[in-house]
Amino acid sequence: MSESAPTAAESRRIAEEARDRVRFEEEALQLSDQVYRVARRLVGSREEAEDLMQDTYARAFRSWQQYQPGTNLRAWLLRILTNLNIDRGRRQRRMPELQPLEEGDYFLYDRLEATIPDENPDEERVLERLSQNAVVEALAEVPHDFRDVLVLVDIGEFSYAEAAQILDIPLGTVMSRLHRGRRILKRALAEKAVTA
Amino acid sequence: MGCGCSDCEEMMQPYMDKVLTEEQVREAQEHLARCPGCEKRYRFEYKLRMFVRVAVDEPMAPELRARLAGLRSPAPPH
Repeated sequence: MSESAPTAAESRRIAEEARDRVRFEEEALQLSDQVYRVARRLVGSREEAEDLMQDTYARAFRSWQQYQPGTNLRAWLLRILTNLNIDRGRRQRRMPELQPLEEGDYFLYDRLEATIPDENPDEERVLERLSQNAVVEALAEVPHDFRDVLVLVDIGEFSYAEAAQILDIPLGTVMSRLHRGRRILKRALAEKAVTA
Repeated sequence: MGCGCSDCEEMMQPYMDKVLTEEQVREAQEHLARCPGCEKRYRFEYKLRMFVRVAVDEPMAPELRARLAGLRSPAPPH
């Protein structure tokens, strides 16, 4: 039986690896809705988002052994996805020094409130000045570098630190892009407010 | 125009993101308790974030789900 002992150990190892791989694939697939939600807003169209998802999962399944069990799998998948997105021709440009935005964080509220004839309306009524379409369009107008952070944090609900890791940028950059991205979004929203 | 509380305006994003120190949170809350204008703008900001999240949500097509599932490795032979 001297030959069968290593073979048994070997086949046990192969079986274990196959089980781990299947478990990994199942977990990754269970997260696909959440990954797609982010992917869809990182790119301009549904088709692009779908291609990106397919490439991401193909790569993830190929390199599953690089994933460290116990770490955030959703962040790991999105790291692959954002890298693929950049590889697809969207080079990460150095941002030119931008003019500071004049508008502060209360800007959108104040603009929307001004369109309502009543004194001191409650915030629900102010929010009704925005349509779903306006939000989709306004988000698409935010420049890529800001939008990536905005989508990861505000839509994907990732922490600053996770967003920094996914995009491979410093934490301070995440914070400044988020801050600015939100203001750009609000300015775009203010332009699309329902005025009737 | 708001109440002119520019410190409160500056603190709004970090407050929402829960990255303020305990003391800063207390400061912000004390101010909000005294200033209905800022308080309403904070509530608006919170609801706006929820609204944005829901507004841009587009469910994944079932065909894509099936395609992703099709990328799995073949089941190991027994």
